[in-house]
Amino acid sequence: MPFDPQPLENQHVVLSDLRAAREIEERILQEAEACGFSQESAFAIRLALEEAIVNAHKHGNRCDSTKHIRVSYKVTPERVIVRIADEGQGFDPDAIPDPTSPDRISLPNGRGLMLMRAYLDDVSYNEKGNEVQLIKERS
Amino acid sequence: MSSHGSPLRVEVRPGKDATIVKLTGSAGMEVAGKLRDQLLSLINAETRRLIVDMSELEFINSVGLGGIVAAHLRCRKSDGEVHLVSPQPSIRALLELTKLTKLFSIHDSIESAIAQV
Repeated sequence: MPFDPQPLENQHVVLSDLRAAREIEERILQEAEACGFSQESAFAIRLALEEAIVNAHKHGNRCDSTKHIRVSYKVTPERVIVRIADEGQGFDPDAIPDPTSPDRISLPNGRGLMLMRAYLDDVSYNEKGNEVQLIKERS
Repeated sequence: MSSHGSPLRVEVRPGKDATIVKLTGSAGMEVAGKLRDQLLSLINAETRRLIVDMSELEFINSVGLGGIVAAHLRCRKSDGEVHLVSPQPSIRALLELTKLTKLFSIHDSIESAIAQV
């Protein structure tokens, strides 16, 4: 599914701080569980949210806690849609190497994007590459 | 119960052949970096083999996995290694997907891990 720039119904802007973002993550997970998403799906949503938020904080905002992360989301019984934006310059997701290749398997980082793609139904970026859209369908 | 599960608890039990590290709860984004620092701080000239008991670990993300990889690399510098024990199915699937099963030995019990260090 292509990246859709239309605003989602819930929107939050927090300082680039992992503890602050955790509260929104918890809210999304609780709404997903209330909508009937399984524990397995909740694990997948949580993992993808954490990977996206950590990327926004670490790579996008360069761990600058004066910058912000914007999280918008919509949870329905059919799907969870979340968009996470940072204040960085963006990046090309297609240029990220495969972390499971033999020469990269023992590197401590570089697995976030691969996990988002593996655990969700769709992952897409805006043109600039500083906002990711995550979609999990209820299976 | 919170969707985030229980807070992460790290219990360290030094042993003759290896140090056993039991992880309980959830290694979420706000604590995963600290887990890396904690694991690395355990490794020194005397302690170069870690056995990480994952039997009660409910969640881990790539930062937490990266911390265990970093600990493994540091152990390897001293001819040691990190062994993993009894990951829950969701975490075992994560290890398989990332192919970290090629990097780590995964055991069904602490006893079998100790036997191989």
